[in-house]
Parts: sequence; structure tokens; C-alpha cells
Amino acid sequence: MLSSPAGDDRYLRSFPDTGTVVNPRDRLRSAGRRNPVEAIAQQVTERVVDLLVGALDVNELAARIDLNALLDSVDPNVILDRVNVDALLDRVNVDALLDRVDVDALLDRVNVDALMDRVDVKALLERVDVNDIVSQVDMDALVERTDLGAVIARSSGGMGTEALDAVRSQAVGLDHWVDRWVRRLLRRKDHAPSAPATLLPTEAGP
Amino acid sequence: MSNRRDLVSYQGNYAGSVSRFAAYAVDLTVTSAVFSLTLAVVSYAAKIVTGHDVSWNRSNIVIVVLFVGWQFVYFGYSWAVAGRTFGMALLGIRVVGADGSVVGPRRGVVRALVFPLSFLFFGLGFLGILVQREHRALHDLIAGTAVVYSWDARAARLRFLAREAELNPPPP
Repeated sequence: MLSSPAGDDRYLRSFPDTGTVVNPRDRLRSAGRRNPVEAIAQQVTERVVDLLVGALDVNELAARIDLNALLDSVDPNVILDRVNVDALLDRVNVDALLDRVDVDALLDRVNVDALMDRVDVKALLERVDVNDIVSQVDMDALVERTDLGAVIARSSGGMGTEALDAVRSQAVGLDHWVDRWVRRLLRRKDHAPSAPATLLPTEAGP
Repeated sequence: MSNRRDLVSYQGNYAGSVSRFAAYAVDLTVTSAVFSLTLAVVSYAAKIVTGHDVSWNRSNIVIVVLFVGWQFVYFGYSWAVAGRTFGMALLGIRVVGADGSVVGPRRGVVRALVFPLSFLFFGLGFLGILVQREHRALHDLIAGTAVVYSWDARAARLRFLAREAELNPPPP
């Protein structure tokens, strides 16, 4: 921080408040234009400063600084509060960032068991719409391609059931064949309701 | 003719003429067989008791009235209690209210009472099953009922696929 030569703020009041910081050397130079003694003092000071800076070993100076202690004195939250994270993220190319990530290597470092131990499976399942998932299952393919078909066949098979299914499906097929011909004979083109109103959304179904 | 995949969506739809006629044919066969068997048992019992042969003339008015009464009890009770007869259960159809609701005892009995009306004029009342948009016969219109498919075609299809898969297992 800069202090006024007079030790109070009267010195500062003599400068117009422009809101900019004035270089101390410039300030000395402007003073030197008014007084020759001050000009000499300014030149001496500049020379001394140059010699001092030249003699300084910046690396050694940096080595002497205890960075940890310095960082301990910094409150990261205060810094982060002043960071506009949204603006920062807008400038980040996430795709490019992800392209550089070795996901396999990343996953190799993850302890999945430990991760799973921390997952509340019950809470997770409560958020899942099981009915929606089941409705998306292709039951036909499931029965045809898995042992489930064999289980169903053994549990519900039997000549009686098989014969009944066959008779019913044949009858339904004939029903529709007759119905199609009647509609054709009557030249009926509009579609009649296929089921009673209350059975349409549930039993007639998809 | 529809394939099996199409049949899955027919549950709850109005049942067609073939299924209904087949169901009635089964019911008629069953009721006639039970009635004949009952008459035979009664004849046998009468012969044991009286020692004389008892024969039944099918044109006898008493026998006709008994048969009609038996038919009414069979159909009326089945529709009122279960919404379906044995033949209908076999063919996978059932009686419901015109709006799809449960038929209930009152409508079941009314349907059985007006059922003979459909036989009048050479069975003209049954023509509705063929030409009416909701496949409702005369007795359906009077009783406020309809007949729909009730069998679980989806389960039947899965059983069919399961049998196919068992006969022709998928490659490992």
C-alpha cells in the first residue's frame, strides 16, 4: 500500500481522484520537474532501485518464501466466490477435455465394490418405474431365446391347454374372416367400435 | 385368416359369429347329453321301483317343458353367476353388459328369458351377430348385454412360443 509523504491523507487530497493507481516513480518525476533537488533525489533513488533489483537473486528469494504458509493464509472460498463458474465453464470445450480422458484407465482406478457399498439401492429402485421397464421387454423374444420358454412349456403345457389354445385361435380367426366378408357384402367402410367402452383401454389394450 | 400375433389384441373385443355359434353348439350338446342321461337314470330307477320299463317320448309335452326348463336353468344360472356357460368358457368368450360391465344376476336371468325370442322367424334374431356393428343378437339388445372375447390370448401366445422354442431350441 502507498502512504502519503505527509503521513496523513492531505497529500492524497492534492491529487485528483481519477480512480487509477499512479506509479511512485512517475510521481517522483513529476515532483522533480518542479524542484531540482527532488530531481537529483529521484535519479539517485532510481539508480539505487536498479542496483538493488539487479543484485537480487529472485530464485533464492522465491525459495525462501514458505508457499504452504502463504496458501494457508489464503481463504479459497473467498477466491471462489469471486469466480464466475458459469462463464468459466462456457469457455471450456468439454468434448475436447473428454477426448483426452482415458476412461479405461480411470475405471481401473475406481474401486467399484466400495462405490456400490455407498449406493442406496432401495432408494434407487424407488425412483425406477418398473412397470415402464417391463412394458418395454419383448416377451416374445424373451420366451423364444431363453430358457424361460422351456419353463413355461413344462409348467403350462399339456395336450388340453394346447388344444384349447388352438381351437380358440382358430375360432377367432374364422370370426374375423366372416366379419370381413360381411363388411364387404354390406359395403361397410367405417370402423365400428371393437369393444365395449369400459373394456377398450384395459382389456383391448395395446 | 388372422395370424397368432394379431390375436393378442382381441381380448375384450366383441366376439364373432363362429366363436358364439361353436360355444352354443357345445352347450346344446352338453345340456342334451345331461338331460338324456338324467332321463336314463330316472327310467332305470323307475324300472327298479315299479318293475316295468319306462320309456320317454321326446315329443311328449312334459319332456319338452322339462327340457326347456332345464335349458333356462342352465343358461340363466351360468350367465347370472359366471357370465359364461361351459361352451363359452371353452371358446374363451363371456357375456358382459353393453358397456363392458359385469353382467350380474338380473341381466343374466333376463338374457336367458328372452333368449328364445332370437329363435323366432327362423332364427332372425341371431342375424344381429353377423350384421350388427357390436355383434349383438336380439336377446343381447333386449337384455342390454354383449359377448366379448375373454381368454388370455397373450398367455396363449407365450405358451405357443414356449412350445415352439422347446421343439426348436435356439442355437447356443
